[in-house]
Amino acid sequence: MTEFTVIGSPDDRRVAGFADACRGEGLPPPSVVPWASLLDGTVTTSIPPGLLRIESPGGDPDTDALLRGPGEPTRVSGGARWYAAFTSALDRLRAAVGPGTTWLSDPGDIAVMFDKRRCHARLLAAGVPVPAALGPVTGYASLRAAMAAADCGRVFVKPAHGSSGSGVVALAAHGSRVRAVTSAVRDSSGGYVNSLRAAVYEREDEVAALVDALAPDGLHVERWIPKAGVEGRTFDLRVVVIGGTPTHAVVRASQLPITNLQMGGQRGSLDAVRDKLSAARWAQALDVCAQAAACFPGSLMVGVDLLVDAGLRQFFVGEVNAFGDLLPRLTGLPGGLAEGLDTYTAQVRAAIAREAAPCGT
Amino acid sequence: MTVREHLDRYDGLRVIDFGGGDQPEPGERVAWRVGIDRDSWRRQRNPVRFGHAFGQFLDAVDPAAVTHLVIGAWDTDDFVISTPVLRLLQHTAPRLPNLKALFLGDIISEESEISWLRHGDITPLLQAYPGLERLDVRGGSGPGLSPISSTELKVLRFESGGLSASVVRAVGASDLPNLQTLELWLGEREYGGDTTVADLAPVLSGERLPALTRLGLMDSEIQDEICTAVAIAPVVARLSELALSMGALTDDGAEALLSGQPLTHLVELDLRHHFMTEPMVARLRESLAPVTMLLIDDAQEELDEEEYGIRLFIEVAE
Repeated sequence: MTEFTVIGSPDDRRVAGFADACRGEGLPPPSVVPWASLLDGTVTTSIPPGLLRIESPGGDPDTDALLRGPGEPTRVSGGARWYAAFTSALDRLRAAVGPGTTWLSDPGDIAVMFDKRRCHARLLAAGVPVPAALGPVTGYASLRAAMAAADCGRVFVKPAHGSSGSGVVALAAHGSRVRAVTSAVRDSSGGYVNSLRAAVYEREDEVAALVDALAPDGLHVERWIPKAGVEGRTFDLRVVVIGGTPTHAVVRASQLPITNLQMGGQRGSLDAVRDKLSAARWAQALDVCAQAAACFPGSLMVGVDLLVDAGLRQFFVGEVNAFGDLLPRLTGLPGGLAEGLDTYTAQVRAAIAREAAPCGT
Repeated sequence: MTVREHLDRYDGLRVIDFGGGDQPEPGERVAWRVGIDRDSWRRQRNPVRFGHAFGQFLDAVDPAAVTHLVIGAWDTDDFVISTPVLRLLQHTAPRLPNLKALFLGDIISEESEISWLRHGDITPLLQAYPGLERLDVRGGSGPGLSPISSTELKVLRFESGGLSASVVRAVGASDLPNLQTLELWLGEREYGGDTTVADLAPVLSGERLPALTRLGLMDSEIQDEICTAVAIAPVVARLSELALSMGALTDDGAEALLSGQPLTHLVELDLRHHFMTEPMVARLRESLAPVTMLLIDDAQEELDEEEYGIRLFIEVAE
């Protein structure tokens, strides 16, 4: 019987969710190789043969300390160090894996998805619609210079290696008049931590200090695509693509420009969104997600953040997430391959089916 | 009303984006929306300026058949004042002889904060379209407005996060014998909303608004004071709909409403977005049971704890 191995944090709910899905499919529980053992070099046993799933290191504080160094877990900074440690660990994993293993996600794909600059470039090169990028940006002064050069007064500033909206800044600027909405708030030591409630900065010195604090970890800056609204809130879509097919979609709706569910965004009504889009445009939206996923052919699953422009006619890929499937209780699109299945069960079935298929497919 | 979605209907008609691909069904009356695609990924090197888009629109449709017009974004820059657009519309008036309804600034917070939208003087525009029956204006503290006179205007709405008192005073001094609906989003002082209850006196007396049936005095940080004034305002007796929603309404304002003139003749009373206590909401529901459409959120808005203490926030400000 095919067995799964999961690289993850043992107490993380993602790992538990995937184990539940295996159990539900009558499979033995997956072996779990802790991220911590990859990061501190103590992984001694080789990875057992079978299907290998790489999961997010998650919010485990010890793992986070190994990745970013010691410090307040909610701090915004440390992305560059996190990324270096993370990709080194992926390299070690590659070395520890024998020929009997099927990768469900490619470490190279994951490394690209966790660098928003490289991810954007890969999508752009493939003709996937993405918001235009500005930059490179090394601080507030260079950000404003890039905005002036692009004749662009509204941008999203994203830490290159951030996730879950951490440190993202939605910035509108006209001369010295600025308005920034962000998850990052100052803590007592003068650094920035992620707040579950967004902060709004309207003083230029505050915005400059924030951008200058984020810049050393690397920034990716994009035009702010005006997003459509539904039921009185701004929304975007998280679409999970499994085996090349969009299977799950969730509406992330917010009173704020940043829609992440960690930052006050709430699940909105998919029916209401589909009512606003014609059937043809909904199909087009899913097609854009499939195009984005096709840029990561070594990954069984990716989570695509799809922006719908305010006029409801254009679609843009905001991000592609290697670990974008933590969507508890969400079942697959009606009529689709994963109807009635959660994201983990759909992946278990897709992985097994792919394994059972003739060689070379 | 929301500032997070483009209008999909206006004055009961479907809104169709000019250039968006949709067309009216045969015989369908529609509202046309004209604006520029301000952050279009595809057109970013060649932004289609508003004047160009509007010219294309006039050439593509039968302008004499246009009755409803929605103006969207007019520039790629947040902060460019609408004066050239107003002037363009003013000069186009002879080609749009049947324009009945005009929405200026269907621009959502994702495109520009409402306080960053600037309008020029709309008085000449109103004079250029004497047949206009409805005008909606969304934008910052402006626009410029002098007292106007129209026997046709039935609906007048200003959506703002801080409406200048000069606009409120100009409306009060206008001669609008057939105006049925007046909605003013008064906003916050911080964003230019400096209207006082005294500025509202001509509206509240209703002397110059004999046809008024719907009044909205909304989105105000002095919502309680406004309720106190509304509670004794002569105009209320002739209204069927009253909106005091979106603002910093507390028990004080509600108490004033309950102890003032009867409100049970109203068909609709909108008190959504509020900071009233549960017992007060219950009292209102009981006392105002005859009001068919009594719109009150069950729960008050969450208080915004700021550096300088708790703040009651209005629905639309910045």
